[in-house]
Amino acid sequence: MRVPLSWLRDYVDIDLAPEQLAERLTLLGMEVQGIERWGADWRNVVTGELLEVARHPRADRLSLTRVRVGAEVLEIVCGATNIAAGQRVPVALPGAVLPGDRAIERTEKMGVVSNGMLCSGDELRLTADADGILILPPGTPLGVPLADLYGDVVLDVDVKPNRGDALSLVGLAREVAAVTGSAVRFPEIAVGESAGPSVASLLAVVVEDPALCPRFVGRWVGGVTVGPSPDRVQMRLLAAGMRPVSNVVDATNYAMLELGKPTHAFDASAVARDGAGRARIVVRAAGPGERLETLDHVERELSADTLVIADERGPLAIAGVMGGAASEVGATTRDVIVESAVFDPVSIRRTAFRYALRSEASLRFEKGQEARLARIGADRVAQLVAAWAGGTVAPGRVDTAPAEPAPSRVAFRPGRVDRLLGTAFGAAEQATLLARVGIAVEPAAAGQAVPVAADEAPLLVESAADALVAVVPTWRRDLHIEADVAEEIARVRGYDAIPTKAPDTQMPHFRPDPLERRTAIRRALAGAGLDEVLTPALVPEAQAALLGWPAEAADGVPGEDAFAGRPVRVRNPLSERHAVLRGSLIGSLLDVLAFNERHGRDDVAVFEAGKGYAAGADGAAREWWRLSFLLTGAAAPGTWSRPARTWDLEDAKAIAALVARAVRGAPPTFAPHRGGAPLHPGRAARATVPGLLAGLVGEVHPETLAAWDLRASRVLVGELAVGGLGGGQLAPVRVEPTGRHPGTERDLAVVVAEGVAAGDVAATLQAAGGPLVRGITLFDVYRGGPLGAAEKSLAWRIAVRPDDRALDDGEVDALMGRLVEAVASAHGGRLRA
Amino acid sequence: MDLASLTAQLQALRAEALPRIAAAPDLAAIDELDLHYLGRKGGALSVLMRGIGALPVEDRPRVGVVVNEVRQAVEGALGAAREGAGAAALAARLAAETVDVTAPAREIPRGALHPILETIDRIAAIFGQFGFVSYEGPEVETDATNFRMLNIPPDHPARDLWDTLYVDVPGGLLRTHTSPGQIRVMQAERPPIRALLPGRCFRYEATDASHASEFYQVEGLMVDEGTNLADLKGQLVEFAHAMFGEGTATRFRPGYYPFTEPSVAFDIGCLVCGGSGCAACGRTGWMTILGAGMVHPVVLRHGGIDPERYQGFAFGMGVDRIAMLRHGVTDLRVFLDGDLRFLEQFR
Repeated sequence: MRVPLSWLRDYVDIDLAPEQLAERLTLLGMEVQGIERWGADWRNVVTGELLEVARHPRADRLSLTRVRVGAEVLEIVCGATNIAAGQRVPVALPGAVLPGDRAIERTEKMGVVSNGMLCSGDELRLTADADGILILPPGTPLGVPLADLYGDVVLDVDVKPNRGDALSLVGLAREVAAVTGSAVRFPEIAVGESAGPSVASLLAVVVEDPALCPRFVGRWVGGVTVGPSPDRVQMRLLAAGMRPVSNVVDATNYAMLELGKPTHAFDASAVARDGAGRARIVVRAAGPGERLETLDHVERELSADTLVIADERGPLAIAGVMGGAASEVGATTRDVIVESAVFDPVSIRRTAFRYALRSEASLRFEKGQEARLARIGADRVAQLVAAWAGGTVAPGRVDTAPAEPAPSRVAFRPGRVDRLLGTAFGAAEQATLLARVGIAVEPAAAGQAVPVAADEAPLLVESAADALVAVVPTWRRDLHIEADVAEEIARVRGYDAIPTKAPDTQMPHFRPDPLERRTAIRRALAGAGLDEVLTPALVPEAQAALLGWPAEAADGVPGEDAFAGRPVRVRNPLSERHAVLRGSLIGSLLDVLAFNERHGRDDVAVFEAGKGYAAGADGAAREWWRLSFLLTGAAAPGTWSRPARTWDLEDAKAIAALVARAVRGAPPTFAPHRGGAPLHPGRAARATVPGLLAGLVGEVHPETLAAWDLRASRVLVGELAVGGLGGGQLAPVRVEPTGRHPGTERDLAVVVAEGVAAGDVAATLQAAGGPLVRGITLFDVYRGGPLGAAEKSLAWRIAVRPDDRALDDGEVDALMGRLVEAVASAHGGRLRA
Repeated sequence: MDLASLTAQLQALRAEALPRIAAAPDLAAIDELDLHYLGRKGGALSVLMRGIGALPVEDRPRVGVVVNEVRQAVEGALGAAREGAGAAALAARLAAETVDVTAPAREIPRGALHPILETIDRIAAIFGQFGFVSYEGPEVETDATNFRMLNIPPDHPARDLWDTLYVDVPGGLLRTHTSPGQIRVMQAERPPIRALLPGRCFRYEATDASHASEFYQVEGLMVDEGTNLADLKGQLVEFAHAMFGEGTATRFRPGYYPFTEPSVAFDIGCLVCGGSGCAACGRTGWMTILGAGMVHPVVLRHGGIDPERYQGFAFGMGVDRIAMLRHGVTDLRVFLDGDLRFLEQFR
């Protein structure tokens, strides 16, 4: 809320500098987010007196004026028609700069030199009047900088949603008073009622559902003359951020800023009369198909739960949100109906959202309104309309609920307040602090009910001495429970006064770190040279279809299984690019590659531990963790001493093996995955460690690369489900005895048919070798003479090591023989001679 | 052959051998001389020693002494020569192997961990010393867990504080903060509780240099019988000093969150201008780094904890902003676009 300090001073004395006041308010919970010097952009604008206004010798529409500015008299050419000798006006001297960085210089106008400019209110952004020169009051001193007289300081206060009462100058004056200890001056509201017909004979109000409109107060001001508001009023509204409209509308806005009470003025002639000749207003829900042209001249179809102010012909206004064009107060308006009502906050909030019409008024209504203010607001607006637009106020008010609720009472225990805050204020100081925000304190009774939590049966105190009762002012709608009272005490005293200490309460039990396994994997991959990325979980809806990642390939890992559901869609996406939650991270990693290619980077090795999401038939959303990576270009750049090494499929498999090892798993086995796009049908594998790891690794299909518009020709990706990625501890390493005897290595080349998978041969070798075989490495693959055309030779290095004894050559020879036999019988191979 | 003649020949052999050995150019020449003089079968010394058998028995020991002297002299010379030649060979080899060590070092590949997750790690390490334990919760939450259980009823004006992305599962939304984790932890644990909840959050917010629709938060929660506002202040001051340096100025002021009462906004002295006021801190000299407060009794109750017996505090901080301050990042969009030129600086 924008708060002009000159206006705020109407309601409270302030002897603090603006910066000091801003800091004190901030520390009280009314955060001042900006301090604006209103008028700081009137440079070289001073007050002057028109000595003479004559016709310009060569232009009928211009005047030639002589203006006294202090000791000097200047000749200034002026185009306005509202000026006359003797008036006091703002004068922009040569060199002046007006709002909008408009520079004023000495100029020649139709052969006459003009030594500056007389300013309109609009040019100074002081009033809304752009046609006439701003006429200052007769007693205005001359030759004085305008900013000294009309400059102001405007605080921008961030009023929190629970403090609707402080969305007003009076409300903020109360906060200032809490800081300074001075008294609040409520505006003097006295309505001079006429002797004419009473409001009851002019206006009838029917509220169909009092739950949606608990109170409606109406006033009638007859015989107004609609025109501009007094300059001073326009100045205040502009400084507070509202555009002046007319004296009647400005009266409602002025009262809203002053009291926090939105009201509405209707042109009474637009309201249908009842049988008794009274304007008859009905507050009701909109009917089917009803329409209304609102003040912004948009024709709106009203939904059935829209609360409207209507007459018998139809809606006149959307209650609490916006008036209708047909009943708008305008130049021809004679009689004005003032509506000052309280509406259901939820209804107003929903309606304002539905029509995207959140206004200063709806913002205040949706935070809740004090019932009392309906009466006060009606009186204030009637008073201001009569003062600024003339007319007479009909005696009395129409009031649908004149009974005004008493202040609520909240019992609290000073001991518990101190316990919550960690303070030792005691009952007396707490009562003193509460008094500074208008909260009186009464003694409690035995058995007094203390509201600890608002939604439960209150706690009953045993002894009256344990509790006090806070009498909450009617405007404070945010204080319901003991803790609310504690906050008032703390904030009035200042959070600085709360001690700062280390907790002396018990430590919690040990709990495993859910990030432990994920962190181990992430560190391993970074250690292997891959950079970690984080990418948005929201992706374009088309991306999943474009990618077609086979999520089911990651099945078989308890706790991290893929979920075959539909994508989770955002109902209100920010853009098409962030419309659904992704099921796979691979599309995002391809995006990362595309981004880096655009920035000239072709060597990309990245990984992300992130979530996949889907919704099931039961409607519930599922989330699972995945470890995904992408490799392309050089793994290590070439240098003078070593050629570059390019990432290849074996690296992708090695990453899967590294991930398994990082969480103490066995090496994965790899089976061909021939599913086609997004992966190369001949260069993709499903990696599996039973019960621990599952997923695909492989080269990206050329069509998929093209779909992402990538420059790279070979890109490797993998997406793995890993047990415990979403939360789990690392098992300790269990060692095997290393043995006292050295092992040995033998090379073994077997010739097999082209179609035999190396992984199967490796499994056969391991199974046949048993625990003696500690390592199997495929070190060469050979095709060509003297082998047959459909044959290949697989050369293995077999590490052999017994636990507890020395090996003799004969035993190793026998083992090699068994291995060859096993391969021969399982795969039809033979020892390569 | 008599004694004198044999002795003279032996001395002559020595006189001839020693300079030749000393002059030998390399190990091969030395080996050749070794064979020539000391070879078992045709070596010059062996040839001379054959003459010993012709001498009278009483002379033989005297010749033996001379033979040994000569053999030792030759062997000594060979050893010295070999040592010298070895050292020279090694020196030559080392000289030949010299490389230009001034070339820039090759890099052993090492990837970067993401600065956001590293910042979370740092936060967790600090609060870990205070006894806080990490937990995680789901990102797709419901209106109930993200709002209602946290004392934010439907259509409450406070909902303006969170622009929300809703999803097409019943009641579903993307969590706007990590605070739903408070409820989950309280339901799963009994006091004493000290919980830390890092994670990704979502808001309906157009992306610019300081706003993102996906971002990271860390939530903290402490609940016990005596946990109070003074404890909260103590922990946050300690945290600010650990995270931003011992000299960091701190300030507490009232804030507003429906799930805390009293509520707290926690500011630190501007890290850019040091408190004198600049664009980064809106000319106030202060930067708000987190919101906090005493857990609202209704929220405790929703967590299954008796608000009469227990009290707690909670806080929530934006990781992105802290990471920006820590690393001098001025545009948070770099965190999620995977730009290696940015990320590789953290290797």
